[in-house]
Amino acid sequence: MKVTRRDLLVWSAGAAAGLLVTPVPWKLLDDTSIWSQNWPWIPQPTRGPVEVKQSSCTLCPNGCGMKVKMAAGWPVGLAGVSSHPISRGALCPLGFGAHQLNWHPQRLRTVRHRAAPSTWSEARAAFAKACSEGPVVIIDGYPGRASSSVLETFAQKRGGSYRVVLGSETRALAPYETWSGVPTSALGYDLENAQTIVSFGAPLLDGWGTPGRFTRLWVERAAGSASPQLRLIQVEATFSRTAARSWQWVPVRSGAESALAGGVARVLLEEHLVSARGPMPPLTLAEAANQTGLSADAIRELARTIVARPPLVAIATDNNPAIAALNVLLGAVGTRGGIVRRSKHAEKYVSADAVIPSARAVLIDASVPWDFVAPTDAEVFRFAAWDGGSSKADWLLPAPGFLEELTDVPTAPTSALETYAVAPGLVKPSAEVQNAAQLLASIDSTLTTPEEIIHARCADLFRGRSGTVHSQEVTPVATFASVQKLEEQLWKGAVWVGEAPHPASLRCEPQEWPASAAAVPSDTWSTTWPAPVLPSLATKLYRESSLREAPEKRLA
Amino acid sequence: MTARYGMVIDLDRCTGCGSCMMACASENNVPSLPQASARTGLMPMLVRKVSNGLEGTARREAFIPIMCMHCEHDTPCVKVCPQQAVEVDKATGIVMQMPQRCLGCRYCMTACPYHARYFNWWDPSWPAGMEKSLNPGVAVRMRGVVEKCNLCHARLHSAKEKAAAVGKREIDLADYVPACVEACPTGAIRFGNLADKNDPVSQEARSSDAFRLLARLGTEPKVYYKSKEAWVRALAESQSGKASEVQHAEVQHG
Repeated sequence: MKVTRRDLLVWSAGAAAGLLVTPVPWKLLDDTSIWSQNWPWIPQPTRGPVEVKQSSCTLCPNGCGMKVKMAAGWPVGLAGVSSHPISRGALCPLGFGAHQLNWHPQRLRTVRHRAAPSTWSEARAAFAKACSEGPVVIIDGYPGRASSSVLETFAQKRGGSYRVVLGSETRALAPYETWSGVPTSALGYDLENAQTIVSFGAPLLDGWGTPGRFTRLWVERAAGSASPQLRLIQVEATFSRTAARSWQWVPVRSGAESALAGGVARVLLEEHLVSARGPMPPLTLAEAANQTGLSADAIRELARTIVARPPLVAIATDNNPAIAALNVLLGAVGTRGGIVRRSKHAEKYVSADAVIPSARAVLIDASVPWDFVAPTDAEVFRFAAWDGGSSKADWLLPAPGFLEELTDVPTAPTSALETYAVAPGLVKPSAEVQNAAQLLASIDSTLTTPEEIIHARCADLFRGRSGTVHSQEVTPVATFASVQKLEEQLWKGAVWVGEAPHPASLRCEPQEWPASAAAVPSDTWSTTWPAPVLPSLATKLYRESSLREAPEKRLA
Repeated sequence: MTARYGMVIDLDRCTGCGSCMMACASENNVPSLPQASARTGLMPMLVRKVSNGLEGTARREAFIPIMCMHCEHDTPCVKVCPQQAVEVDKATGIVMQMPQRCLGCRYCMTACPYHARYFNWWDPSWPAGMEKSLNPGVAVRMRGVVEKCNLCHARLHSAKEKAAAVGKREIDLADYVPACVEACPTGAIRFGNLADKNDPVSQEARSSDAFRLLARLGTEPKVYYKSKEAWVRALAESQSGKASEVQHAEVQHG
């Protein structure tokens, strides 16, 4: 049979039409779609047994309770612990991406000596040599931990000194230390009993203190209410996230917080709105009005509003003696709902801001913010988990990253209650790392290890028989049968909480109105986030939405 | 029993911290790509800032988390998908996106009145080693497909497995909590079964403060919002075409 052109066309058309009514093209399309989504270069999650461990976040000194979802030994997700007595189930946004930090491209994986690759043995030899030649200054950014104790002991044994870099929240408590002699490490804010909180720029709803603590208070007692039980008055130059959610926003010129505190104090004294006596601010009301941009009547009204609902407390962003003096005048120091002394025993720290002239070497712990530069010409040994770029350190030493080391978690800087928790190392280090305590132990084998110190601290808590241990349930320490049982609970993520403070044990009496403090810009994250890098998911949030602006000086 | 999972988001409680966005991206293995921007990025949960448009002490701001609204009726994305890659799950009411079927035509993105769908412009990638931190319960999606919130379906699977392990057919709702709900530090986002009249979330959804975005379209979204602020409620109305009611309202897009 002869096949004509017409036959060919008819056959082709029939085949095309027939093919369409079979499932073949659709199946091929579907399969192609599936195949093309499973190319070998598409990353696949690690498979393995999944378990959830409870611990505390160690990224900043606030120690929020944290659930760590682990798969095949690696952390794959983080969430808050609702039974945690202070953080109450919340984490800061950065905390939710912290499990990815250890693989950040800026992770410091090798020892560097003046930007050139080096080794741990060379670094150890250089540090041992420096120790033998002169005093060593050790700088810590997170004092109170077991490893801090190791650093301090080593510095004392070698005739050096131990200094600390404190966060802005702790520095804000410094005036009370000056006036009362009680160290800042023993002070906190009794926010739970306050009815009025005047925030001078402090980002109370945006990362201040333990994020969940005030946020939960605000939700329970203020959110969505026109006449809230808790009045939040936000004094700030910009309409910040906290200002947007405050009961009253008081817009003042940037840096005029001290002037406003002075103006309010003058009104309180002149109109006899407070029973306490205190030094009269040198600033007149007209001068305060001129500096703040508010009218004199507005300052008068603000003063009356502040005292209308006690107990109350004013919160500064940083060391601001004028705001501290206002608190004294308001009767907010050593009283319920104000600044309280949470601990009888506390250590006084020497700030690292002072010049260190005679040191042979300076060792900087990984907890010190990256942008801190030691004011010294000595040889600098800088521990860090992430490389933030230019630094004045002679030696850059890779430190353990997130969840890669055992540490304990002492009381958060702003807490009114003493707390203690243990954060075990949950993951194996992804690089050859050491922490400062390990380096010191390799030079001085007589040093007590952090693990031994944690054990001793647990034993102290057990012997003290006071306070409670919070896990899924609350257990008084006095009911624990042995220190091992108590320690076991803490290693599993439980938190010890001390007794409520006795407010009357703190007295402040400034003799004269303090001079104005330098303006401190309101900051949300960079003050409590020592790492120079951000979790990649945080970078995503900053890059792919306009919700927030990325903190300055942090690497994406 | 047929469930209708949904949410009530109390906007008076939202501080715009972004925890829900971070937790969502972490749970669902959404990559952070340097080439992405606010226009091309992928944010299944996106918090937008809105204001009443006034300045000074009269200014008010609020934050509105936007995700897939899981429309119950005439679901726009389902209607336009040529691949049957989107469907409303009859058992849960969840609008499911099946990336394996998706051809990336983006009709659904155009049809979605909430702009809650995102296109995967690039292959997902993470810095070396970071793939170890990916959630094993959620498969990574390739470029060329559309993504959106699926109410953390992996968590629903886990809850089902847990129920099945003890011989139950129904899940305990306490075992199924989406990541954004779990992460919200103020408890502003609440999740529940809207079909259960005794469910607190279902009751909240029927309260006088509750409203839905673009309710006039009749798609019956299963995400409700709440606010006592009249200007916030009016803003939702303005998005449904009644802009004259809130002349000052402005929306800052993510």
